[in-house]
Amino acid sequence: MTTTNPWVGRSIKRKEDRRLLVGEGQYLADIVLPRMVMMGLVRSIYAHAKITKINTAQAAAQPGVQAVLTGEDVRHLGPVLSDMNTPNLPGVTKRPIFWPLSIDEVKYVGDPLAVVVARDKYTLEDALELVDVDYDPLDVVIDPERALQPDAPLLYPEWGDNVLYHQHIPAGDPDAAFAQADLVISERFRCHRTGGQPMETRGCLAIYKPGEGLTLWLTTQRPHIKRHLLAEYLKIPHSQMRVIMPKDMGGAFGTKAPLYREELLACHLAMKLRRPVKWVENRQECLMNIGQGRDQIHQIELALKKDGTIIGLRDKILADCGDARTAIYVGFAMPFLGAMYLINGYDIPNVDIDLTCVVTNKASLTPSRAFGSFAGRFALDRAVDLAARALKMDPVEIRLKNAIKTFPHVSAVGVNVDSGDFPGSFSKACDALDYGNFRTKQSEAWQNGRYLGVGFSMGVEISGVPSEVLVPMERQPGFGVATVQFDAHGKVQVAEGDSPHGQGHETTIAQVVSGELGLSPEDIYVTYGDTHAGPFSAGTIGSRGASYTLSAAVLAARALRPKMANIAAHLLNIEAGENDFVFRDGHAVLIQDETQRVAIARIAEVALLSPTELPPGMEAGLEHTSHFEAETAGMHSCNVHAVQVEVFPDTGEYKILRYVAVDDCGQPINPMIVRGQIHGGVAMGIGNTCMEEFIYDENGQQLTTTLLDYHIPSSLDLPHIETIEHNVPSPHTPLGSKGKGEGTPGMAPAAIANALEDALQPLGVKITELPLTPERIWKLIQAAQPQAQE
Amino acid sequence: MKREISITINGEAYEEAVDYRLLLVDFIREVAGLTGTHVGCSVEGRCGACTVILDAKAVKACLMLAVQADGAKILTIEGLAQDDVLHPIQDGFWEKHGLQCGFCTPGLLMTLYEFLQHPKHSDKDIRTAMSGVICRCTGYVHIVEAVKHAIAAVEGMPPEERKEWFPV
Repeated sequence: MTTTNPWVGRSIKRKEDRRLLVGEGQYLADIVLPRMVMMGLVRSIYAHAKITKINTAQAAAQPGVQAVLTGEDVRHLGPVLSDMNTPNLPGVTKRPIFWPLSIDEVKYVGDPLAVVVARDKYTLEDALELVDVDYDPLDVVIDPERALQPDAPLLYPEWGDNVLYHQHIPAGDPDAAFAQADLVISERFRCHRTGGQPMETRGCLAIYKPGEGLTLWLTTQRPHIKRHLLAEYLKIPHSQMRVIMPKDMGGAFGTKAPLYREELLACHLAMKLRRPVKWVENRQECLMNIGQGRDQIHQIELALKKDGTIIGLRDKILADCGDARTAIYVGFAMPFLGAMYLINGYDIPNVDIDLTCVVTNKASLTPSRAFGSFAGRFALDRAVDLAARALKMDPVEIRLKNAIKTFPHVSAVGVNVDSGDFPGSFSKACDALDYGNFRTKQSEAWQNGRYLGVGFSMGVEISGVPSEVLVPMERQPGFGVATVQFDAHGKVQVAEGDSPHGQGHETTIAQVVSGELGLSPEDIYVTYGDTHAGPFSAGTIGSRGASYTLSAAVLAARALRPKMANIAAHLLNIEAGENDFVFRDGHAVLIQDETQRVAIARIAEVALLSPTELPPGMEAGLEHTSHFEAETAGMHSCNVHAVQVEVFPDTGEYKILRYVAVDDCGQPINPMIVRGQIHGGVAMGIGNTCMEEFIYDENGQQLTTTLLDYHIPSSLDLPHIETIEHNVPSPHTPLGSKGKGEGTPGMAPAAIANALEDALQPLGVKITELPLTPERIWKLIQAAQPQAQE
Repeated sequence: MKREISITINGEAYEEAVDYRLLLVDFIREVAGLTGTHVGCSVEGRCGACTVILDAKAVKACLMLAVQADGAKILTIEGLAQDDVLHPIQDGFWEKHGLQCGFCTPGLLMTLYEFLQHPKHSDKDIRTAMSGVICRCTGYVHIVEAVKHAIAAVEGMPPEERKEWFPV
């Protein structure tokens, strides 16, 4: 049953903003408890070394220091990884064995090796300085290709090599396709290490009460998942483990999804010290440890017919997973999904994808918005442009020729794409850029010594991840879940198990639920983030809010209507059921005679405060929990981004003149929020593509551990981002909604690189590596110029 | 080593003996308990989330010691609204969806509080003014719109009302 929901599609102001605008949000660092102590980590200053001695005596003797532990002190807790928190993918044979603190050996700069607890953060900082560590440095391996060489230093000698995971993904008959090809494009693309990095760092506050158990306030995207993994690791009953994401969290972008060593330590210390233990990561630690994603090399080959049809693809992917010591993702879940999504919006029947994930002496990869896909999206959409140039085809024409045309579509490797419209999206992008006239303008500009270019990318972004994918990949369900519960005053509490942190769930859930129940968004309040106050759920990940969680809320609200109608009919003393009523303006209104109506507040009052007025035999209460799982193995949004640039070849600097994002979010719930998600995704994409990079030197020293060195774009670094809706409602969600924003950064690298290369055509530049710094562009121009002059 | 200092925040005087090394941002958050001002970097002054108004200037509270602010008058995000009426800057951010996670918001609001008192308000001026505060969520597009909304509201005000919204 579908309903015209009057609140859907309206850009109402966000409910969460009022508290945030007056400084009354509650973030992790804001929570203070009596007897609370502060936890801090001593981290390795070497990328690879034996720990020969740790002297904790001086630190422990400081007034105000409660505890100093080293790896040996936590050995009894056991290794962090278990079957439950490791991907269950085929071909997984290896896993790093490690403890919350490293014992004997450190494997990257930032590796935690001791923990200190003190009465306040100033005392803590002093004490951390006093922990004296002796190291015996070992050879390091920083480059993933070097990691594969037989004489490379090994991170985990027991493996015999540095290969963490290998997967071969074949489909169709790629050999035959390449044999029949009129043109083969072969190129090596390298995507650097970059990714998330939220403005609020990680943190937690652990409280232990005997008999009641552990409560962990945690910056997390997935409280329920953390709860069951923490209970398993700490060997305490599930009933005694509670995880709460604070009311507000300062962004995550994937980085707050894994289970981390620091939160295990805080829990252990709270139990040991019987005092609330708080840890607030500093920015240096944050840049050392989380948000490091991408970092792949693609040796990609495309087989094409003369008319531009791509008939085959081969890709050898090498992913640098760092030390891979994070639970749930173990460094390789991202490149794995990226490989599965490599062909993305293209309909390529014959593929051979070979993924090798290696470990190096860098921080573990962590999830980062555009989970695993960023590097592959760059490689493929770049290769397609190279093919277009070789065939003298227009980049839009070659994409339209090879884009998925009919939906639902199952890709050669089995990814289900439910709905979308690439021709429509391209048409809007081209119109916005006046692309029809651009080539003339471009030629004129070249003649005048100016370098203008346009680049395109197209993509399929996940709109939530179904259980079918999430169960094997992360041992977690993909369903959306929500409890819709009337209170005694006719207001509605919606409890979700996710933990939104900027996505606007308090507003969008209120919109959809109020519309389904004839109420107004002010009547709805949304609670989230607390494992003891909401249903079990996978968390806020992978653009699943608008696709899965909202859909569950809609279904739960709809499930209440028959009972509401029965109560209304009883109060009106008539025989009538759900279909005889409409719910609007706060009332159940009898369709046949609109003067017959009952206030919804009155219905709730009867159900909760005054159950003696209920129909005979009816159970009291008015609430329902729904679990939503789409009847398809994957919902997606199909998007086209177009970028116009001007390059200044003397310096390699360039300006993004236009960034046009044509995005599909199905039926938008709140278009203003959707635009915000796209803006933010594009901004991260531009930052990751053009200026952000985690740089390690040859010794494995991380050179980018302040925000002055790791350059997140400021308002001056970004262009105005234009958004255009091209929505194809999903046939699989009750309102046609789709998720938006997670995959968005993946659209940027190829679109920008394609635009730069297009602008520099007269100079014959070929872009194969990121980031696109002016220095890199300048060097490419310098290297290419003699050739162009010949 | 401690020193007795007095700092007025949002009109309320806080007199405390504090360590010399106590950062101003910790004084605001931990001594005064005003947690609307945030810390997003390792006190290197780059993220800007800790920006407050100190004696009519926007400053990063992580780059100052509390003792340096002895005798100063400070305005934080908690002091912007009057009773329950939002400041035009807050109103602009709400109307135009100028925030998502809200973590950088205090820094932006306080930076723009000073900026709005300047005479020049082109798009470039707005972006330049904001550039000391990093927002990771919004791509700044809606923030620019929010600022324009606030500028329009402020410019339409009689001078005495404007003065009420910008007491420092």
